[in-house]
Amino acid sequence: MRKTRSLRGKEHGATISTGPIGGSMRTKKTLAILAVIFFSLSANAQRYDLPILEHVFDNGLRLLVIERPDDHRVVSKIFTDMGALHETPGEYGAAHFLEHLMFKGTPTLGSRDWEREKVIHDRIREAEAALIEELNRARNDMRERGVFHDHQHSETTPRVEELRTLIESLNAQAQELAEEGPMKLWYQAYGGTGLTATTEQEYMKFDLDLPVDRVELFLRVEADRMENSIFRNFDAERMILIEQRYGDLNRPETEFREAMNSLVGRVSMVYVPEGYMNDFDQYTRRYERVMLETYFVPNNTTLVFIGGVTLEDMIPKVEKYFGHMRRAPEPRRYQSREPLPSGEKRLNWRSDTLSPRVEVRYQIPGVGHPDRPAFDVLGEAFEGYLQSEVNKAGVGGKVDINTRIVHTSRFGVPASINVELIVSDAGQLDDAERVLLTGIARLREVPLLAADLALAKKKLRSDWYRTANDPSNLAFEIGHFEVMDSWRALVPYLEARDAATVADLQRLAARYFIANNRSIGVVMPEETP
Amino acid sequence: MKKLILLAALISVPVLAQDTTHPCNMGLSADDYTRPDPIEFQLVLENGLIAYVAESGYVPLVTLSAFIRAGRVSDEKQGAAEVLEDAFKNIGPSGMGPDTFRQVLSAMTAELTVAMHDEWTELSLNVPTENLDEALPLFVRLVRNPTIVAENIERAARGAASEAADLGGESGAVLYEGSMNTAVDHFYDIIYDGHPFGDRPTTEDFEALTVADVTRFLEQYVVPGNVTLAVAGDLNVDDINNRLANLFSDWSGSDIPDVKRMPAAEPNAATMHHLVSNKLQSWLVVGHDLPPISMQEQAAFDVMNYIIGDYHMNTRLMRNTRYKYGWTNDASSFAEDRWYGPGGYTFRSYSRPEVIEDIYDNIMEQLMLTRDEPVSDQEMFVAKGAITAGHFQVRYLDGYAMTRSFALERLHYGNHERSASYVERVNAVTKKDVQASAQKYIRPEHMQVVLLGEEAFDID
Repeated sequence: MRKTRSLRGKEHGATISTGPIGGSMRTKKTLAILAVIFFSLSANAQRYDLPILEHVFDNGLRLLVIERPDDHRVVSKIFTDMGALHETPGEYGAAHFLEHLMFKGTPTLGSRDWEREKVIHDRIREAEAALIEELNRARNDMRERGVFHDHQHSETTPRVEELRTLIESLNAQAQELAEEGPMKLWYQAYGGTGLTATTEQEYMKFDLDLPVDRVELFLRVEADRMENSIFRNFDAERMILIEQRYGDLNRPETEFREAMNSLVGRVSMVYVPEGYMNDFDQYTRRYERVMLETYFVPNNTTLVFIGGVTLEDMIPKVEKYFGHMRRAPEPRRYQSREPLPSGEKRLNWRSDTLSPRVEVRYQIPGVGHPDRPAFDVLGEAFEGYLQSEVNKAGVGGKVDINTRIVHTSRFGVPASINVELIVSDAGQLDDAERVLLTGIARLREVPLLAADLALAKKKLRSDWYRTANDPSNLAFEIGHFEVMDSWRALVPYLEARDAATVADLQRLAARYFIANNRSIGVVMPEETP
Repeated sequence: MKKLILLAALISVPVLAQDTTHPCNMGLSADDYTRPDPIEFQLVLENGLIAYVAESGYVPLVTLSAFIRAGRVSDEKQGAAEVLEDAFKNIGPSGMGPDTFRQVLSAMTAELTVAMHDEWTELSLNVPTENLDEALPLFVRLVRNPTIVAENIERAARGAASEAADLGGESGAVLYEGSMNTAVDHFYDIIYDGHPFGDRPTTEDFEALTVADVTRFLEQYVVPGNVTLAVAGDLNVDDINNRLANLFSDWSGSDIPDVKRMPAAEPNAATMHHLVSNKLQSWLVVGHDLPPISMQEQAAFDVMNYIIGDYHMNTRLMRNTRYKYGWTNDASSFAEDRWYGPGGYTFRSYSRPEVIEDIYDNIMEQLMLTRDEPVSDQEMFVAKGAITAGHFQVRYLDGYAMTRSFALERLHYGNHERSASYVERVNAVTKKDVQASAQKYIRPEHMQVVLLGEEAFDID
């Protein structure tokens, strides 16, 4: 156990690797890039000292390491630059579903007899192709035509039923040859903890924390998962997504939030939930396979390790398991661009189960835009001010300012800042809206107190330290910034928050907090006319 | 020419092939982990106060924690504990008004958490290092001399009343977030019916309570020998040790209070308890009381419990509900033991209503199988590895986790023998031990089934 250890303020020397990354990679000269990044020139930099070491393999795989030589364990994460942003309408949640399918094993993990099992999976694939063909043929009969989902000429066809029964039967046969939960089992057995996976709009990641001397297990399993995932028990797993959606829908605020999201954005997939009920039935093995093969390629992947490993030791280990993978064609990146804000939008939401509230949203830029860091400061500093205005006006309620959409608070694309005021009395809704809009407007004219700004920045710093104190959270932030922009942007982002001035916040308010960029949602009782 | 093309093609193929060696054949080394020695981090003051202090972490933060062997059921006069909890949270140390207390915490960007359990309480203050000089004496004053005023009694009474009103599962008003908690609370209401762990202060109790009663409770339990400390983060150990010695040197108090041992819970016959709720899902809690587990039996119990249903892992419950059938997002076991009395052992899941009975059947089937038949070699291998190289190590992962674990262990057991021998004991567990543990600690005849959902089903 480390008794005394602090890397703050420590100097870091640069090391440049020479030669290829292990002798067996392709024959380019020095393709390995080993970069030690210095964040040590300013006082702010010292606050956020992150000795991240980088190595990019010639197949494009990125390796990021923070060495903590006294640690007995290592946090390990693998990020793929894909998520809901890459889905298509009608199949929302397909990326999240792919994450679930990637827990189903590979030919070498989770099969009792792969030769026999493979034959069955081939037959399932053929049956699914026939099912897609039949659904296409009968699409005019089966198309939902009612606003209230109340009319189709036909619910199904005999051929559809026949194929579904066949797939179910084949799946049952395949399951006889499979082991359940293979991707977790060996991680568990060798001391893996923090074993999770997450798919959001911009990324999919798999996480593990395990003893340092077993880090190769992570590499062996993840490389196999990336290349050889078998979509076992596809339809049963589909039901898990439905279960999770039910969980979301049991929260009364879910549908309101989703309606607000769709009010704010018109084309950006940031605002889309992880699948509507109808979507779950649409996923196909074929589409999921295309997503897997398109995005899970080395040049779209980042490995992050924090703990008792060194970059030098990790390079040959990573190469052993990922080195054979070829650089693939660059996956198509997210191309849609939200139209310019061009009018105030409003949602009147009638509900007796959701507390009455007013929510005011403005679109804000994504990480990578120079204005984005100061919005964190603005939200932190402005919340107290708005709360005091609400209190002064005699409106009973709590103000919350956040940048959350679905489960994420930062994006590499435009999103929104959300000012929420939940009131105890629906009769105060008009007053609440007026106070919020007046308070927001005042921000453009009256500067915040310097002391409030300083406290907000200190609060953000403390929050960051609490995040960074947990190596798993820190590894997430590094990987998240890599998919949003670049891991190199993380420290400058934090520094920019510290550098924000009162004038900066006023400028942001004047630029972004305009009526044409505003969406207002009001939750009112059902009987409201 | 064709040969040349073929040769060129072969050369261009990466030399490496994918390594898919099975994890069991990878030659992964035996784990050489050794638990840190608590004595290296221990500070023992003359008045009996014990602290664990560690420099740790890579960020300028320090966490100060105090653990008190007293909780909600320790008070002689009902409600005194809840009021003291409120005083710790909201009023601050003596000589400092609540507004000043809040302002001071806010200016430091500190995070104060106070968690009072039935038998023990945890206070924790996380602050930036730059505020440590201010925070440490504040924390010490808060632990030793919290301000207790009538306002605490009023607020605790309001909190208790609103908590009681929230337990409205029958009304169907429960939300997703609260539904499992509601079912679990109901389960504990059942197993603690008539038991001291089930006592909760009423409005009348709070009305009869005085500030002097709460002060007596404080003076009886918050004394040096009944408190341990954990301090970890960006600090100098010698400096902190000196400061703690100074700040607590004049702290004396009454004798260490006797441990309040609770009677066993009265077992009930297996019963279905249905809370009607018309949500998209149903929530299921199956279980019974859990007697205190001796050190000799702890390791076998932990292995058995892991095999059945460690949270969200590949376990018997998950394989036979989620992985095979897609019925639920989670089915897991929860062994919630208490220090000096009966805890609860539950198996929990949730799902769309049409499969909740199937989930119940499969949970019960797996519990019976664990009692009736030996577990497999693979299950033993996985569970032992997960516990010794996973869960156990995480308890000592960083300075905060380590000092907290030591402080709690010392307060609970008076020594560190359990953690010292834990890995060895787990590794010595046999399949026979696991089956014996299941037969002792899983009691189908006493299962209380709490269903929060649309329709009850027959549990026979």
